[in-house]
Amino acid sequence: MVNFTVDEIRQMMDKKRNIRNMSVIAHVDHGKSTLTDSLVSKAGIIAGARAGETRFTDTRKDEQDRCITIKSTAISMYFELEEKDLVFITNADQREKNEKGFLINLIDSPGHVDFSSEVTAALRVTDGALVVVDCVSGVCVQTETVLRQAIAERIKPILFMNKMDRALLELQLEAEELYQTFQRIVENVNVIIATYNDDGGPMGEVRVDPSKGSVGFGSGLHGWAFTLKQFSEMYADKFKIDLVKLMNRLWGENFFNAKTKKWAKQKDNDNKRSFCMYVLDPIYKVFDAIMNFKKEEIDGLLTKIGVTIKHEDADKDGKALLKVVMRSWLPAGEALLQMIAIHLPSPVVAQKYRMEMLYEGPHDDEAAIGIKTCDPEAPLMMYVSKMVPTSDKGRFYAFGRVFSGKVITGQKARIMGPNFTPGKKEDVYEKTIQRTILMMGRYVEAIEDVPCGNICGLVGVDQFLVKTGTITTFKNAHNMKVMKFSVSPVVRVAVEPKNPADLPKLVEGLKRLAKSDPMVQCINEESGEHIVAGAGELHLEICLKDLEEDHACIPIKKSDPVVSYRETVAEESDQMCLSKSPNKHNRLFMKAQPMPEGLPEDIDDGKVNPRDDFKTRARYLTDKYEYDVTEARKIWCFGPEGTGPNIMVDCSKGVQYLNEIKDSVVAGFQWAAKEGVMAEENLRGVRFNIYDVTLHTDAIHRGGGQIIPTTRRCLYACLLTAQPRLMEPVYLCEIQCPEVAVGGIYGVLNRRRGHVFEESQVTGTPMFVVKAYLPVNESFGFTADLRSNTGGQAFPQCVFDHWQILPGDPCEPNTKPYVVVQETRKRKGLKEGLPDLTQYLDKLYYPIGGFAHKQSVDTTRMCRRTLISCLSDA
Amino acid sequence: MANFTTDGKLCIERELEIDTTVKQFDDLITRFDISETCQWITDNNFQKVCLQFPDELLGVSAKIYEEIKKNVEVDLYILGDTSYASCCVDSVAAMHVQGDAIVHYGHTCFSKTNIPVFTVLPKGLLDLEKTMKLLNDNFNSDENVKLCLFYDAEFEHCRDLISRHWFRQYPHSYISYVEIDEKPNRFLGRVVRNKEGEDFPVEVLKDCICIHVGSRGQTLFNYTISIAASEWYSLDPKTSKIERLEETIWFKRRRFLVEKCKDANVVGILICKLAGDQTRDIISRMKQLCKVNGKKSYIVSVGKPNVPKLANFPEIDIYVMVACPENDLYSARDFYKPIVYPYELEVALNSNRDPYFTTHVTDYDQLLPGRRHHCDIDHVKETTDVSLITGKIRETKVDTNEGSSTNLVEKQNWALESIGQNLQDRSWKGLEQKLGETEVKKAEEGRKGIAIQYSDEPE
Repeated sequence: MVNFTVDEIRQMMDKKRNIRNMSVIAHVDHGKSTLTDSLVSKAGIIAGARAGETRFTDTRKDEQDRCITIKSTAISMYFELEEKDLVFITNADQREKNEKGFLINLIDSPGHVDFSSEVTAALRVTDGALVVVDCVSGVCVQTETVLRQAIAERIKPILFMNKMDRALLELQLEAEELYQTFQRIVENVNVIIATYNDDGGPMGEVRVDPSKGSVGFGSGLHGWAFTLKQFSEMYADKFKIDLVKLMNRLWGENFFNAKTKKWAKQKDNDNKRSFCMYVLDPIYKVFDAIMNFKKEEIDGLLTKIGVTIKHEDADKDGKALLKVVMRSWLPAGEALLQMIAIHLPSPVVAQKYRMEMLYEGPHDDEAAIGIKTCDPEAPLMMYVSKMVPTSDKGRFYAFGRVFSGKVITGQKARIMGPNFTPGKKEDVYEKTIQRTILMMGRYVEAIEDVPCGNICGLVGVDQFLVKTGTITTFKNAHNMKVMKFSVSPVVRVAVEPKNPADLPKLVEGLKRLAKSDPMVQCINEESGEHIVAGAGELHLEICLKDLEEDHACIPIKKSDPVVSYRETVAEESDQMCLSKSPNKHNRLFMKAQPMPEGLPEDIDDGKVNPRDDFKTRARYLTDKYEYDVTEARKIWCFGPEGTGPNIMVDCSKGVQYLNEIKDSVVAGFQWAAKEGVMAEENLRGVRFNIYDVTLHTDAIHRGGGQIIPTTRRCLYACLLTAQPRLMEPVYLCEIQCPEVAVGGIYGVLNRRRGHVFEESQVTGTPMFVVKAYLPVNESFGFTADLRSNTGGQAFPQCVFDHWQILPGDPCEPNTKPYVVVQETRKRKGLKEGLPDLTQYLDKLYYPIGGFAHKQSVDTTRMCRRTLISCLSDA
Repeated sequence: MANFTTDGKLCIERELEIDTTVKQFDDLITRFDISETCQWITDNNFQKVCLQFPDELLGVSAKIYEEIKKNVEVDLYILGDTSYASCCVDSVAAMHVQGDAIVHYGHTCFSKTNIPVFTVLPKGLLDLEKTMKLLNDNFNSDENVKLCLFYDAEFEHCRDLISRHWFRQYPHSYISYVEIDEKPNRFLGRVVRNKEGEDFPVEVLKDCICIHVGSRGQTLFNYTISIAASEWYSLDPKTSKIERLEETIWFKRRRFLVEKCKDANVVGILICKLAGDQTRDIISRMKQLCKVNGKKSYIVSVGKPNVPKLANFPEIDIYVMVACPENDLYSARDFYKPIVYPYELEVALNSNRDPYFTTHVTDYDQLLPGRRHHCDIDHVKETTDVSLITGKIRETKVDTNEGSSTNLVEKQNWALESIGQNLQDRSWKGLEQKLGETEVKKAEEGRKGIAIQYSDEPE
């Protein structure tokens, strides 16, 4: 532990080239927190009087009880690099001249997929990531997910192979086997990196390479670790080879013949892989000697590796002795901190290429330049990535990263929420920053100001932000980009207080809960129910516990978990739908049709979005989805909320006054898209086409009052004539288990409408991975069910993947969708039964048979022409 | 002309839904309290008296007119087609003829008026024997569990009989009697009394089981939501059905709407009630509430509201309707923007009120100064919190230029700015000329008629 005063820390903050902001990411149970502990014990900063108090990372009791990280925690560390190591830093922006000390801000993040929103928030404020992989289980689902996220955020990864002790002690792998395992993991990681990163891109090459020293090996639990750099240092003098050259020799297809003293690129009978010979052999020997109690060998070995055993450890043996020896021989902190300081980028380096990913505004305005150059004199730009509860109930610290300028106690700043748009007054507040604070584990220390490149907390801005936001002093600043989560809040429970009179307390608690978690949604529905929505059962469980114990502080009743559904259509409307306005003077002719597969997801991902240039968007839609280009240019709006995965397309030709009613039609569309016709659930993947409109010539008779409700009626008619369907959310479920348990998995999945699409063996291990799609609605209690059917050997990871049509017609009684619709209507206090088409559809007086033709895009076009010609004929 | 409007044929041919079950009454004089009415007119020496009928009784209005005319020598007018709801007394229509008093027929909501009114309640038949047996089979009463009987106003004519039977069976219980005159304990036109005839405030019913005898409707609904009781039952003597009434779902929805009020920036005060002192008072109170909370309010008067009329003001976020409590539009779900009771706006915006309610105040009269549910309006502090409906920050902006007239320019700017903002959100901002963009074409003869039905369309 390093003992620092706040002033000393503050001085370090100015040396921006010597700062490293990093997160630790991994699959669940791969040993992040344990590894972090060994780092903290080596270099964790304890400010002044706090020295000697309890551990840093354990902030919540339930985290300890469950042995699982729930919230990400930030810790600052200080570490001095030796002169000989400093030469490894070649980039001038990676260290200040004449400064050996490094300030490392580390964020330990949860590994369970349900909390991956915490990972996203951690990644946003850091520049580098230590990816931890359990070398026994290899690269897992969540490893891939977090790595993908990191690359997308332009976070540079370094790799650490954890749990080497298990590989040696439990699996008893031969040296060559172990090398192959390592090699495979490195390859797997690099494949993922290559998939999501372009080597020619601004971040450059980010592949991890043991011979460069960006891959570490060791055991977090036993507190030892090394990179090839450590071993090269041991041998460099002896071999009289340059350190860097030797590092290259110690990995890959390099073999050494001990007799001839010759290196070779190929394996033959007499030579041995250098990694096994020079790195693994010594370790194996130490393990063998100590674990097999070969007393006489031990002493010899210890002198060889230069470890002297302290008096108090003298009578230890077996595992305990092993730990002591390994720890003093290859201390984990040393190796890891070197890796971090040498291979992870400083804010100066990282912000140069991260700016364009972080900032929404023009890339040449003051804010953009300030971020790009990490300039403490530029206007303040800070991103608040999450809210951390304070001891003062209901108040939060706004936790985030200063990207440009300085954040100062007492400074007046603009606080911009995610809904802020430049030039408008919505979601922006100009307030004073009451206090700037340093957050170290669960302790906070007041600090006068914090310059760019650092992570800190703010007091007094929590009231103006829900979860995240941008803090700036630049008047024309745009927002920093909103984080995109890899998980969605698809599992919901309704909550109510046990004592109904506590409702106001519950509401207050829900507001606090909404702030405290990056992703949870607390919703007051139209029916008046209070819903808490999270990524999965575990996430919800934790949220509800927090709600009950910390935020609302009242006993709470909760419903069984449910999922939210979406309404969609399966076919094109089987007739042209006409609705007349209440005054009968206006008519709307429309049809609904399903979107092509993939388009709703493209809209969700923002690949197709309302802010695009309409021509570019039309081109994309034409190329990818074969939309008619003229129609694609006339997308009126997206919905619900102006951005959702449903569109309204103007397919009409030459209609008078059409632009005048556009706002009213859009309003009606937003209404219908938010509350669908079947159960007032959101629509998804529906395209509505306006084919024709007749309007009264007097503006007063075609006002909003006439058009908005009529549009809604017409859209409802379109939905009802287009084979309405329900969609349910589906998890991608990855289950790891030994071969014997695979049969049990199939049984459980079949009972739950799951569907296996991949089954493979993890190479080098006896483990199997089964990938399946599982409806979220069937996933409740899945983990427990799976464990009991596989003797506790299968561990599932479920993450929301896509929406899928719930088979069956919701208009047919006794089908599953029908039951769902009726239950939902009942819960929402709506009239039970099915919506009646005649309520929405008006009679068409024209004797046109053409409308009821077959359903395909082409016929639609033909119909439209028929319609227009009919209209002009008439 | 036919090209612009309909020829009126449709209007005349339009069929209205009127309950035509009203037969010729042979007992007109007793059924419509003719002699009592005449007595009341002569006693008070009224000169011009209006007879207000609901649509379904208009058929007998002439007969009643004649009967009264036979007995007293006054100017009589028949009022029909009441402006908002026929349960309310149409004092404005009476003022048109400078009437002194009104005789109200049909279903009534017992709302306060500023003109003398004689209420003639409808009279229904009640099979008391059967009803009492039903009650006896289903409800027991003792010292601990008290019952309270609400009989429908149409059974008022046999109230003595009812109370005799009721108190014989349930001596420790209450009856909530119809009370036309203003009394200290009167609530929604009712007064609770026990066997001895003592008056009680409605709060006494908190632990009682209330039973309503009569058909289900808006009146009973209003009782169940605004009178706190341990349980509510409805007994329909026509079908002999007993139902437990629970409105928890309705209350949940209303609490949601209260939240919605807090979210709203622009509030429409929808006037669906005839002018009167209380109406004026409640409007200014609603305006004041909006003002202290920094919300803009507009007074909207569109006659009987319907979906298209209100959708003409898309900028208004929520409507607070000043109307007779029996108005059923409050619960309608078809409107583009929701409609709330004045009480709900109070709960949302008046920080002095308890934010949680289990009973409702449907009658806005009760909210006014000096009434049972009045509560002072406090100044509001500028705050922010999270809206659970939109998931966004919700800000309470306080109107700082309250009451001062010097900041007129500022105020105007504010108004202009907000109008500008609304316009900014619209895509259509005025006529497009499209000069040179439209092809020159010879005019063709198009269709004739209007969209309701063009001349070339078969009927």
